[in-house]
Amino acid sequence: MSISLPTYTRREGPLLGRGPRVRTIVVTGLRREFKRPAAIFAIGIGTAITTITAIVFVLLAPFFLQGQPLDLTFFYLPASNLAILFFVTLMASVVGAGLIADDLDSMALTLYLSRPITPADYLIAKAAILAPLVSMISVLPLFITPLLGLLLGLFPWDIALAAMGLSIVVGLVLTAFYTSIALFLSSLTRRKSYAAAGMFAVTFGLWIPAQVFASPGALDNPSLLYIAPWEDFLAVARGAYGVSSGPIDWPLALAILLAATVLAALATYLRMRAVEVVTG
Amino acid sequence: MTGVVEAHELSKWYGEVLGLNGFTASFGSGITGLVGPNGAGKSTLFKLLIGQLRSDKGEVRLLGEDPWNNVPLKRRLGYCPEHNQVWGWMTATRFVETLLRLDGLPAADARTKAAEALELVGLTKAKDRPLKTYSRGMRQRAKLAQALAHGPEVLILDEPLSGADPVGRVHILRTISRFAREGGHVLMSTHVLYEIERITENIVLIHNGKGIASGNLHAIRALIDQHPHAVRIATPQPREVAQALAGMDHVVAIEMPTADALIVRTRQPDAFYRELPEIVVEHRLDVRGLESPDDSLEAVFRYLVG
Repeated sequence: MSISLPTYTRREGPLLGRGPRVRTIVVTGLRREFKRPAAIFAIGIGTAITTITAIVFVLLAPFFLQGQPLDLTFFYLPASNLAILFFVTLMASVVGAGLIADDLDSMALTLYLSRPITPADYLIAKAAILAPLVSMISVLPLFITPLLGLLLGLFPWDIALAAMGLSIVVGLVLTAFYTSIALFLSSLTRRKSYAAAGMFAVTFGLWIPAQVFASPGALDNPSLLYIAPWEDFLAVARGAYGVSSGPIDWPLALAILLAATVLAALATYLRMRAVEVVTG
Repeated sequence: MTGVVEAHELSKWYGEVLGLNGFTASFGSGITGLVGPNGAGKSTLFKLLIGQLRSDKGEVRLLGEDPWNNVPLKRRLGYCPEHNQVWGWMTATRFVETLLRLDGLPAADARTKAAEALELVGLTKAKDRPLKTYSRGMRQRAKLAQALAHGPEVLILDEPLSGADPVGRVHILRTISRFAREGGHVLMSTHVLYEIERITENIVLIHNGKGIASGNLHAIRALIDQHPHAVRIATPQPREVAQALAGMDHVVAIEMPTADALIVRTRQPDAFYRELPEIVVEHRLDVRGLESPDDSLEAVFRYLVG
């Protein structure tokens, strides 16, 4: 038997910087997600339902607000849509929970980290995979609402433009929070189901008790609502769209959301810097 | 410290489980085989060398540098992990290209280098198939391709021959030898001494996390030859393969534990591994993989460590 082999040559030449390497992880991650039926379902259904709901809100705007001026406050209505809460949580669970946990479990992290990739590069790439997908639920419907209102002539252009800008800002706050928390939970375990359960616990495990205990029939203390990310988001949305009444103040709610986002990101970074890839 | 790898009193614990226990060794240039039974600490040592584990005690240097969190050092390494289930949905071309892009190669260069590396390991015909459709031996070759493709100075290969078919073994061993001849350094782990004997005489024996012997392997050959060496052959034609192998003088026993495998015990493993590819080709046998249960090596290690 005879086997001939080509000559091995050692590479010498300029190498690209950090950006292209990060993009490679992003592209690899997105390719993988778009091959997973669960991810396709969450992305498709989540985006469709929240967007269609937003469109319905616009079309029914004259009926929702009969006799009232159609001003910026109207856009709080689509922002407070519970479908956004559910599907953002679902997206973070289905896609985000596995982003690091799957790499730990499949030992793909070994291959990533055998290359000149820093933990920061890796995390930025993972965030860049999840954040746009979450934004399709947290930003897109909020942005479409004023855009459609403008196109249909329901809102004056200045209000619609302001609403579009605010929608991006408000939606990105929610996107950043869920991206950061999802990656943090995903970095803690090899089992994405645990991280996914953690996402639902962070959302509904805090929101439902906060609602119950803050109610007049229980402790009657609205400050308890600050512990629920969704209530904080609603407060921020009320502040952004100029809705006056609300149980909690938007500046503190925004501070809590941003602090949680930054702390989770920092904790994930420190965890990934220290992570040891143990053969499973 | 002057070797390619220098380890001094290196220890690593996983909770209460000891991965390495005061391992001390120096690996020089060329090919070095790290030989030990499963669980001896080979993968732990390699993970420490590529900076994916941090030692609890002692010191390790690769190319004179501390590997932990040493990103620039990774450009000089090619690592072939033992694990086989990574990114099964990718084609081999995409797999190697992706890892080359992570090294910082431009897309066009990555494509060219990936094709070259896959040709080097004999996977050109199968390069556009998803890895999950590959046999274990083909996946080993794909992993070797990604480790080689970016032109590293040091190759760290964790059980690269495990499960490889006879032709694949030849490809892998020749590729490794050629890499070393052209100036590269290779650290290769195995639990089968005879696999590594064909390409180097420099070995380090590791057992229970400790280096128990190092240097030229001829000194322990006599010891090992006293213990028949077992080879498990995966094949849908166990009877035909058994018939073909029964004529080998050094084969002392052949067992057929399942309908798709047989276990051959030989007193001359080196001759067995040398002659097997010719017999497979000559008799047109369908041999899908070779594995060596490490009980024979265990016996030697028990002897060595008393």
